[in-house]
Amino acid sequence: MKRVLGTPLLEYLPAAGLLAVTAAYLVQAYSYAPDSRLVPAGVAWAMIVLVVLDLAARSRTRLGEAVNRWLNSAAMSRGAPDDAKVRPIDRQIAAVLWVAGFTLALALIGILAAVPLYVFASLRLRGRRPAGLCVALGTGTGLLIWLLFAVVLRIDLYPGLLATGL
Amino acid sequence: MLDIWLSGIEGLLQVRELAFLGLGMAIGLAFGAIPGLGGSTALALLMPLTYGLEPFTALALAGGVMGAVPMGGSITAILLNAPGTAPNAATCLDGYPLAQQGKAGLAIGAAASANSIGGIIGTLSVLAVLPVAKELVLLFGPPEFFLLALLGLVVVATTSHGKMLRALVAGGLGLMISFIGYNDVYGDERFTLGVPYLWDGVHLVPALIGLFAVAEMINLMVKGGAVSHDARNVKITRISSGLVETFRHWGTVLRGSLIGTVVGAIPGVGGVVASFLSYSLTVQASKDPESFGKGNIKGVIAPEAAINAKDGSALIPTLAFGIPGGAEMAVFLGILILHGLQPGPLMLVQNQREIYGLVWALTASCVLASFIGLILVRPLALITLVDSEILAPVVLCVAFVGSYAIDANIGNVVLTAGFGILGYLMLRFDYPRLPVVIALVLGSTAERNFHQSMMMGDGSWAIFAGRPIALILAALIAALLCWPPAQALLRRRDNRGTALAGAGKP
Repeated sequence: MKRVLGTPLLEYLPAAGLLAVTAAYLVQAYSYAPDSRLVPAGVAWAMIVLVVLDLAARSRTRLGEAVNRWLNSAAMSRGAPDDAKVRPIDRQIAAVLWVAGFTLALALIGILAAVPLYVFASLRLRGRRPAGLCVALGTGTGLLIWLLFAVVLRIDLYPGLLATGL
Repeated sequence: MLDIWLSGIEGLLQVRELAFLGLGMAIGLAFGAIPGLGGSTALALLMPLTYGLEPFTALALAGGVMGAVPMGGSITAILLNAPGTAPNAATCLDGYPLAQQGKAGLAIGAAASANSIGGIIGTLSVLAVLPVAKELVLLFGPPEFFLLALLGLVVVATTSHGKMLRALVAGGLGLMISFIGYNDVYGDERFTLGVPYLWDGVHLVPALIGLFAVAEMINLMVKGGAVSHDARNVKITRISSGLVETFRHWGTVLRGSLIGTVVGAIPGVGGVVASFLSYSLTVQASKDPESFGKGNIKGVIAPEAAINAKDGSALIPTLAFGIPGGAEMAVFLGILILHGLQPGPLMLVQNQREIYGLVWALTASCVLASFIGLILVRPLALITLVDSEILAPVVLCVAFVGSYAIDANIGNVVLTAGFGILGYLMLRFDYPRLPVVIALVLGSTAERNFHQSMMMGDGSWAIFAGRPIALILAALIAALLCWPPAQALLRRRDNRGTALAGAGKP
């Protein structure tokens, strides 16, 4: 992976992303009345300072070392995180996409269809489990959700956008 | 006073309440035993399910969970060297070596009894302090509440184990999120991006479910596999001798419980500090410090007593000021708010029955969960053999549907997913999540009290300087912010001194 100031580029991404979000937040804050924006804008300005320090702390420079020494002593006692071997990036993206996909399924086809489908698909495609076990666990989880929420708690389970009409 | 305590006990001794207390204990033991889940995840998942319950019943359930989690956590810490919850990590240091020597039962028995005694001492502290807390809280006005909210955030940041900068960033992010929605004071709508769901602000409960339950499941999916791969690791013997050992080392139990009580009452410090402080002080006080880390039973008793004592005293800042003592208490605060119980001075006056019912539920859970934990220790340990590929999808389904069920709004599900991904990214890039939670809880309180203070002072900042409690709080905030750099400076000076002394030697 490409390194910038001695640190893999990926390690800067969270702080850089936060900086962009904070800048957008600050711009939005200044569209409100002065009294109303006072606290959010104050917090956002403080955040910009903190995030810039965080960006500096991630670099392998003298400034980075100084920031870590004063404000992030835990970062001094261990090397740069080398999660790439322990947590392959494709596995991380896949896990996040499974959650995003499940959320989309819940919104589109509703809870009672999405739950068994998700459990089945997750076990079969991610876990490579036998089809019988996947069907049993998918049906079982769907049944558990229906019993707990629809029968015991009497909650109308969401039918999905496709059923209610987009 | 006695009649209020009794009304709490009376309320708890109903079939329905006892049943939910038992259910909470079972859930707490199971979630405590699964490393990575813990009390905050259990409470976050249960929160929407409590919606249809009476507040008192919901608190009995929550008390059951909170009291039982440490016992569940100590089982896996001792058997598998995998602490169920972070504070149980201190128990691993001597508990696991004992298990390796074939004395797992001794360690689990000692942990269970130390847990019970610690829980009882923690309860006594709450009973002693709560009546005084009511008087104390009434001395607080908007300037003090604003500074107290700020102090809560700063304490969390400065006690984030050498990650103050990242904790401050996380706290700032939480504050920015907490300002989304209608402004309490001026009534205008902010940062909603035109989404009507966000008019009421970011809903706390779905956000917490995402940050804890969903984030932990994503993490588990990424790591893969089960916690333990070998069923032979899950064997237990000699439980009763562990109970005897705890009473033989009563001084260690008492010291651990007192440390837990004091540390628990400080917002944001949490169980990890309590358990490790108790462990290290026990090592320092021992005549045989070399035996620690190799299977000394006092190394199990000391942290376990502190962990449960901390749970009781952590209720003090949570209930009296609405400032959670830790992540678990922050989620618990969500349960209170969900049931229309607003922590603070009014709650101490108006909801005494619920408060004392909760205190008793927590105590009963601490004691009973230890016994139940001893009975269920073998099947509980088997949970750690369940593969994450089975566990994660099932827990995710319950988490998402639970989030939807809060007010039958699909927007909650999207919010939970968003916070789940945010929580995972924070885990991945080593940002503490607790400051986000504390900021979400305290953000609007801090802003409202800030504006009220400025109105009281006719727009002058002098309002914060003219009040003694406010001055003390401001001084504490300044001292806490200066402490980590000062510590670094002292450490540097020490190192330089040692280096010079080394260079001066022939």
